[in-house]
Order: sequence, then structure tokens, then C-alpha cells
Amino acid sequence: MNFTPLNIILIGIAGLLGVGFYGLLITRNLIKVVMMLQILIKAVVLALVFAGKLSGNLGLGQSAAATVIVADTIVAVVGLALAVQVRRRFGTLDVPKISTLKG
Amino acid sequence: MTLLTFIGMIVIPLVSSPLVYLSGRLGMHETTLHRRSYLVRGLALLAILLAWIPFVLSVQTFLTGGTQEFNIEAIWLRVDGISLLTAAMILTLGTLVILFSGPYMAGEVGEEKYYAMLLAMIGLMIGLACAGDLFNLWVWFEGMAISSYLLVAFYREQAASLEAGMKYLVQSATGSVMVLMGIALVLANAGTLDMPGIREAVSGSDVNRLALLGAGALFIIGFGVKVAIVPLHTWLPDAHSQAPSGISAMLSGVVIEVGLIAMLRALSVLPGFSLSWGVLFMAFGALNMLYGNLLALRQTVVKRMLAYSSLSHIGYILLGLGIALYSGMELGAQGAFFHLFNHMLMKGLAFLSVGALIYGLFLQNDSHASLKITDLAGTAQKYPLVALALSIAVLGLGGLPPLAGFMSKWQIFVAGFQTQNTWIIALMVFMALNSVLSLAYYAPLVNMMYRKSPSAQVLAGKQLSLAIVLPLAVMMFAVIILGFAPQLMDWVTVPAAQILITMFGQ
Amino acid sequence: MAGNLILLIIGIPWLGALVVWSIGDKHEKAQHTLAVIFSLLSGIASLFLLAFVDSRFALNFELAPAFGNLTFVPDGLAVTLTVIATVIGSLAVLFSVDYMRGEAQLGRYYFMVLFFIGAMAGLVLSGNLLFTFFFWEITALCSYGLISFYNDDPKAVAGGIKALIITQVGGVGLLAGTLIAYANLGSFQISDVLANASTIPAAALSFMAFSFLIAAAAKSAQFPFHTWLPDAMEAPTPISALIHAATMVNAGIYLLARFYPAFESVPNWKTAVILVGVISALLTAFMALTATDLKRALAYSTVSQLGYMVYAIGAGGVLASQFHLLSHAVFKALLFLTAGSVIHAVGTRDMRRMGALSTKMPFARNVFIIGALALMGLPIFNGFWSKELILEVGLEHSPLWAYILMLIGAGLTAFYTFRMTWMVFFGTQREELHVHETGIAMKVSLALLSIGTFTTWLFFGGLNELLTASMPFHAIEEESTLEIVKAISFAPATWIALLVIALGLTLFFTLRRKAALSESPRWLNTLTESSFGFESVNHFVVNTVSKFAESLRATQTGQLNWNILGIIGALFVVLAMLLWGGA
Repeated sequence: MNFTPLNIILIGIAGLLGVGFYGLLITRNLIKVVMMLQILIKAVVLALVFAGKLSGNLGLGQSAAATVIVADTIVAVVGLALAVQVRRRFGTLDVPKISTLKG
Repeated sequence: MTLLTFIGMIVIPLVSSPLVYLSGRLGMHETTLHRRSYLVRGLALLAILLAWIPFVLSVQTFLTGGTQEFNIEAIWLRVDGISLLTAAMILTLGTLVILFSGPYMAGEVGEEKYYAMLLAMIGLMIGLACAGDLFNLWVWFEGMAISSYLLVAFYREQAASLEAGMKYLVQSATGSVMVLMGIALVLANAGTLDMPGIREAVSGSDVNRLALLGAGALFIIGFGVKVAIVPLHTWLPDAHSQAPSGISAMLSGVVIEVGLIAMLRALSVLPGFSLSWGVLFMAFGALNMLYGNLLALRQTVVKRMLAYSSLSHIGYILLGLGIALYSGMELGAQGAFFHLFNHMLMKGLAFLSVGALIYGLFLQNDSHASLKITDLAGTAQKYPLVALALSIAVLGLGGLPPLAGFMSKWQIFVAGFQTQNTWIIALMVFMALNSVLSLAYYAPLVNMMYRKSPSAQVLAGKQLSLAIVLPLAVMMFAVIILGFAPQLMDWVTVPAAQILITMFGQ
Repeated sequence: MAGNLILLIIGIPWLGALVVWSIGDKHEKAQHTLAVIFSLLSGIASLFLLAFVDSRFALNFELAPAFGNLTFVPDGLAVTLTVIATVIGSLAVLFSVDYMRGEAQLGRYYFMVLFFIGAMAGLVLSGNLLFTFFFWEITALCSYGLISFYNDDPKAVAGGIKALIITQVGGVGLLAGTLIAYANLGSFQISDVLANASTIPAAALSFMAFSFLIAAAAKSAQFPFHTWLPDAMEAPTPISALIHAATMVNAGIYLLARFYPAFESVPNWKTAVILVGVISALLTAFMALTATDLKRALAYSTVSQLGYMVYAIGAGGVLASQFHLLSHAVFKALLFLTAGSVIHAVGTRDMRRMGALSTKMPFARNVFIIGALALMGLPIFNGFWSKELILEVGLEHSPLWAYILMLIGAGLTAFYTFRMTWMVFFGTQREELHVHETGIAMKVSLALLSIGTFTTWLFFGGLNELLTASMPFHAIEEESTLEIVKAISFAPATWIALLVIALGLTLFFTLRRKAALSESPRWLNTLTESSFGFESVNHFVVNTVSKFAESLRATQTGQLNWNILGIIGALFVVLAMLLWGGA
């Protein structure tokens, strides 16, 4: 495999996705969960720009990426706000400790 | 139809959302607290009633003029059978839930936020139903998701509600990432994002079919989180049981269905795979109904039981759609869309009547306890109408005539048998047996309510106001009427089914 | 005219259901009166319908394509059953005036009874299979609601659920059969199905025939679904008489009779029907031998008699089965209602606590004996003629072993019927029971039914005429009452049967002391109490499902990491499936 710019970007996307999903699978800390979501979003942003470039419609990819950044900032804000509330209520950010609903 | 008449059903709720919020925040004196609550409620109700006007106008033009498309810069919007069906569902349930929430949410901290978010969610969902290009589909979808996170975690003081909101947010966001990856794959291969354009671009022979298949899988899983396909459903029982009852009704009655509409729209841009989608839909349908029914069987908390029953109903709908996609049988899609509508009515009614009981038994006694099945004992004597409403809702969900659920399930059955495919017929028998299994948890619920010796909670229960009871009566009436006259919904289910078949045809 | 009458027959009770329910439980008297009036009106309308018997559509409404046209056909079979449903229905309602006096939630009771009467008429009159199914399910719903009417009693709740689930499983059979027919013929009309049955591919027709047999067996509580009916006896007694003896349980027989011409030629179908009938009739006759609960004993005997009707259809005797259905509906309603008045009077259903009630309740004794003699099949009661006709058809058209087993069944019937009568009314008084007098409304309906028990066999010629005139697909011979009376009186089959019945009676009198104290052999008790092992099959199914459901709850871990794993795992599974299916 040559390290052309295209391949580097592809590896970057795959790496970010891998890190993000792996993190979601193992992390127990709520703040880290939100961070992992953000890492996944970065992979998506990269992928959108890259897809625009590949298809020759760079403007579309970039505008989509910009919109995603805005929208997911809101998600991050809501997630962090929830984390703050969780910390206040439970006194911990450890996800398994706050999980009582099951079955 | 001009853009102006139609866009109102999206714009009115969206614009009124901040207005409602601001009107609730103005004049922060304690003395006017009560009056402000009425102002907020009234404004919200007014907004949703106003949104009906453009809807009715759009329906009129649709019936004479057929499908319409508009674009504002790069935003494509289309009004076809599917968007009108979805809009009808959202507006019906939205109106009734806003009416219901008046007394239910009265005096809660942040009441104005509740209505603002609810209106925003309604506007965004209608927008989603009309989205004509793939990326905007995602934007509407994400907007709807964000507003629903806030609504699920509305009771910030309740630990369980925070937990449910947190899980919902993380899982939904994970799904959203997958949708975006799918969009990126499509963009890379098609170079455009408006739906007809993509269909045209990828129908050539030099296209990378593997990439498109991957995009399809990402769409199914990504939107599937919202639709609550097993095993992506894990957020649903928590969120549905912890949200305020009005929101439980919205989530179960329209939000997961709108997710399904989004999935269908997204998959429709990938031509040539209908068989695969059909098989997947049927497989997930069978899994969903069995899993949902079995898990509902042993629940003790009413709302959680209803949440699991939503899984099984999504299963029936998926099965109907799967038949339509697999065999091109329009009737399957028609049945599925009819069941979509009926499920909105019946599950909405079920959650709202449970909400009415929670309001009477717990909220008015300043308790946030969850309603157990045993607490229902003897409710029929104190709240005869609510008990009747809940009975009709669950018996309808169980598919007993003369209620709406029977008729829509029947259409799915007819379509399945008409394929004359042994496997599909076996699936249909399996679905019928699942309906029977579901009676094993619906019927005891009804029984419990008509007991003579009331539970302690019922004895301490308070009276209900008209705004709580009226939505129940309306929906109950609708469930019975549609059970006798199923053809009343044909005006929208038939075009919706036709458009589905055309979208996936080629 | 016929169309309007049909609308009245279904509409009046349904309207009455709403009216009685909406006037509220505070006006008890008005509820009783109105319920009687509405049910009587419907009964009268259905008697008028007798004059308009026809094989053509009386009503035809257009609906959406997936539902077919809603049609009603007042042919002989349908009208006979409608008359039974509405007339016995109004007598049961009349009986309820005394029986249910002072009960709570009367509105709910009458709502479901009246809703049931209308639905039962709709079930048999409907010419569209979808609506047959529609009404079929409504009757199941009403039956469930009424079995569980005393829903503070866990036994009533359990019995209701059991009946609902088992009949619904049968409903799946009706659904599947209906849709197979539609998929092949493109029509839901029963007349189309009967006319074009030969064009359906053999495999599909066979699937349909056996699906319908399952549906019929479940609804009529036949083997292997016979376990629900005895538990349904928790319902108020008028309900047991109306729904679980005279009408709803006949729906299965109706279905088989209706489609007999279409399924006649399906390989093994007739044998299967005979087998179901024979096994049901015999098994439950044994169960009735040892039962100690008066209503359960009657329920077993209902299943047994329904077995005779199923057997008759298997042997090709559609007419004989309908004739026995008519007789059985009348005398079994009489027996149940009398049992109801006894239970109402003494406050227990346990026959071991009764005994020697004959002097205290002479009226009840007299009518019960009339019903019992008809059930045994002694001349000149209606049960005699119809049972002899079935046995005669059986001797001619069914395998000999089946005929002999049915004869043994007749002997057993005589034995358990006499045992029942003896335990309740004669013998020694075993417990001091406080006895209330039978109410006037009760007496009126009992008297009418006992007159019916003497006379309904006279309608044989009329029934025959109705069926032959309006059922073009059923080749039914024309015979008048007089002819059939002569034929039966001189047939050897009749004398053999009477001999067996006499044997049964002799056996009872030799074992009288033991039998009346219910000291039956232990092995027989064990077998009958477990419904010959079928109860444990039910338990096994229920336990397995609920254990599985419980253990499945572990999959909802509530842990975020596992939830995410579900999402990612599902993505890989879907990708693998798509790649495997071919890109």
C-alpha cells in the first residue's frame, strides 16, 4: 500500500472510527463517552470532505461537514449538560454505577 | 400548491417554539406564575392548531395535483403520500399531547422549555418527512433527536430519567455517526445528494455496488437505532418508561415511526437492492415481534411493558414493508402504513391513558413513582373512561376486532398470503401466533382494571380534568371507527404505498 | 326485507349493549329490563328471518379490496343458528334478571352478553370469510370478558386467559385457511370458495381444510383443545348456558358443516374429523364420570356431545349434526340454567355437598330430569331423535370401530347423567344447605326451555327443508319429520343404542352407592383430573414460554457498553448477510 494522500486520509478515517467505537465499548466514564462520540464525529467530518473531493463536488462535501460540526456541537453540549446533572444527582460519572434500569 | 401554503406546517411549529419559550420566561414574578403557565399552554396549542391549516391545504392540492417538489437553494422538499401520512400522524398526536400536557405538566419547573422543545420536535419531524435530499434528511433527523433527548431527560431531578436520557443520547448519536458514514459513501459514489439525482447517478453499470451495499447497511443500522430494531433497541424501554407520559406517547407513536420513514427514504436512493432490503426487513420484523412480546410478558411496570410492545409492533410494520419490498406487493406497504397510523393512535392512547392514571394516582399526590400493573386494580370504578380507553387501546394493539389494529394487521396478512411464497406464509402464521402471545400480557392488564377491590393508590387517587380526558375520548373513538371503516384511511395509505413501490422500483 | 332483518338482528343487541352500559350501574332495574327487551326484539327479528331463507346475498356493501365485500347470506344453516343464538340468548338474559340481581358492574355484564348475541348472529350470517373471522374474534373476546367477569377471583382470571389463548390459537387456523383461499381464488365470499374449491391446488386446499379443522376444534373445545371449556365454568351460569353450551362452542361445528362440500374430497380429512369427534366424545365422557363440580360435569358432557356432532360431519351427516346441534342447544341450556338455579339456591357447585334436594326444589328437579333424559337420548325427547340419527349415519358411513366407540359413549352418557341427577336431587342429604326459592324470571325461561326439549324434534322436517332449499353445495336428502320418525323407530341402530343406554343405567344402579359418593377408582380419577395428561401439556407450554421470557430479560443489561456492542455487532451481522446474499 502506498502512502498517497488519499490512502492516508482513508487510514485516518478508519483509525478515528476504530478508536471511537473501541472507546465506546470499553469506557466507563461519562465524559469520556462524550469524547468518544466527538472522535467519531471527527471521522465523519473527514469522510464527508473526502467524499466531496472524490466525487468532484467538493463544495457539497464541505458544506455538509460544516453543518455536521454545528449540529454535533449541540449534541456534545447536551451530553455534557446531562453529565453535569448526573454528577450532581449521583456524585459519580461512572456509567455502570448509575445504570439501574434493566430487564 | 405554492411553497408558501405547504411550508407552513414546518415553519409554524418551528417559529412558535422560541416564542413559546420567551413568553414563559418574561415577567419572572412569582405572583404571575400561574398565569404564565396558561399563556404558555395556550400559545403552544394555538401554534399546533395553526399548523393544521397548511396541512389541510396541502392535502387538498395533493389529492388533485399529486406529488409536489420544491427547492429553496439546496434544500429539497417533497410532498407525497408518505410525507402527508407522516405529517397527519405527527399533527394528530402532537395536538392531543399538547392538550393533554396542559394539566399534566402544570407547575413543573421549566414548563415553557417542555412546550418549546415539543413544538420544535414536531416541526422538525414534519420537515424530516418531507426531506427530498439525503443530507437534509440527516439534519432534520438530528434536530429531532436533540429535541427528544431533552424531553426524555425532562425530569432533571429524577435519577432514572437522567440515566434514560443519557443512554438514549449516546446510542442515538452512535447511530447518527453511521448514517453520516453512509451519506459519505453515497456522496463519494454519486457526487450529489438530492434523491432523484443519486438514483440516476448510481443506476449506471460502472458503479461500486459494494460501497452502495455498505451504505445501505449503515443506513439500516444508523436509522435502526431510532426505529428500535432488535438488538439496537436497548435505549427504548428506558426512555419510554422514564419520559413524561406525553413524551412517551410521542416517542412510541411517532418518533420511532419517523425514524422508519427516514430509513425508507434513505434506502430508496440505492436502486437494485430491494430484494435484499425486503429480506432484511422481514428477518428483523420476525425478530422484533418475538423479542418484544417475550420481554413484555414478564414486565411489572405498565409503561415499560407498553414500551416492549412497541418493539413487537415495529416488527409487524417491518414485516409488511419487507413483503412490499421483496415482492413488489403494494398491499403490504399499504397495510404497514395503515398499521403505522393505527399504532400511533393505539399506542398514543395507551400511553396517554397510563399518563392520566399516573397523573391521578401519583403526580397529584407529589409522587414520581412508576405505575405498576398491580396498582391498576379497581381503576375502572374511579376512572371509568380512562380504564375503558386503556382497555380499548391494548385490545386494539392485541389485534382484536372491531378495533383498528385488527384491520391493519389483516391487510398485512392478506399481502403476505398473496405472495404464495411458503416462507412468507410461514412468517405470517408466526406473526399471527405472536399476536396471540401478546394477548397474554394485554388481557391481564384489562382484567386488573375491572377488579372490584381497588388498590391503595386508586383509593388515594385524585380527580382528572377535562383536558386530560378529552384527548383520550377522541383517540378511543378513532380506534373504534377505523375498526369498522378501515377504508377511511385509504386516501393517504394508498398513495403512500404507491410512492414507496415507485421509489424502490426500477 | 331479509337485509333489514339481518341489520336488526345484529344491530339491536349491539345498540342495546351500548344503551344498557351507558345508563350506568346505579339503575339496576332499568338495566335488567332493557337487556331483556333488546334481546327479545332480536330474537323476534330472527324468527321473522325464517320466512326469508335464501342462498343469495341479502346485503352487499362494498369495502376496500383487501377486505372483499361485506355480505350477509340468510341460508338455512345460518338462520337456524341465528335463531338458536338469539332465542336462547334472550332466555339466558331473562334468567339473568334473577340470577344476577344485586351483582356489581351489571352494565359490563349485559354489554358483553348483548355484544356477544349480535356477534354470534353476525358470525353465522356473514357471507364473507373475513367477517366470519371478525365476528369469530368478537365472540372470543366476549367469552373471555364473561369468564373473567368475577375478576377478583384468580381462578376466573386464569380460566379466562386460558380460553382466550386457546381459542385464539384456533383463530390463527381460521385466518390462515381464509387467506389461503383468498390467495388462490381472489375472493373472500364463502359461496365462491364452495363453488370453486376444486380449482384450488390440492396442497393449498388440504392446508385450508386442516387449518379449519384446528380452528373448529379449538372453538368447539374438541380434542386436543378440550381443556379450556371446563375452566370456563367460572363464568356466571347464564353465560355457561348461552356461550359455553348453546352458541359459541357451536361455531366450530358450523364452520365444519359450512365447508364440508369443499373439503369432502381432501385425503384423510374426513378420517381426521371422525377421529377428533370420537376421541373428544369418549375422553370427556370419562371425565364427566368422576367430576364432582356440577358445572364442570355439564361442561365435560358438552364437549362430549359436540364430539358427536363433529363425528357426524366426518361421517357425512351434515344434517344430522345440525339437528343434534339444535337439540343439544336447547336441552343443554336447560340443564345449565337449572344447575344455575340450584347453585344460586344452595350456594355451592360441589355435588358432594348437595343431595336430596328433590323435595326442596321440586320445580328444578322436574326440569332437570327432562333435560337429563334428553341428554341420555331417551325417547321422546329431542336428544333421542338427533342422537339416533347421528348413530344411524355413523353406522352407515363411518368405520365400524368409530361407531362402536360412539355407542360406548352413549352408554357412558347415560351413566354420568344419571349419576349427576342422583347426586344433586336424590340419595341422602349430606349437608344442611340453606335453600332459596327459584325466582319467577328463572322459572319462565326454564319452563320455555323444557317445552322446547319436548318439541324441537318436530321441526326436523322444517330444518331439512330450509337446508335443502338454500344450500346448493350440500347434497342433503329431503325427508319429512314423519319419515324420519318412522326410519328411526324401525332402524336396528336405534335399538342397539337403546340397549347400550339401558346397560349404562343398569351399571349405574348396581354401582349407585359408590358412584354417587364419587368413589371412582383412583386410576380413573388421576387420569380425568389431569384431562388425560393434556393439562400438563398446557402447563409445559406456559411454563416454557414464561421461563424463556424471564431468562431473556437478562439480555436487556442496561449497561451502556453492552448496548453499544449490540449496535456495532448488528452492523457487522447485516453487512455479512448482505455480502452473503450477493452484492
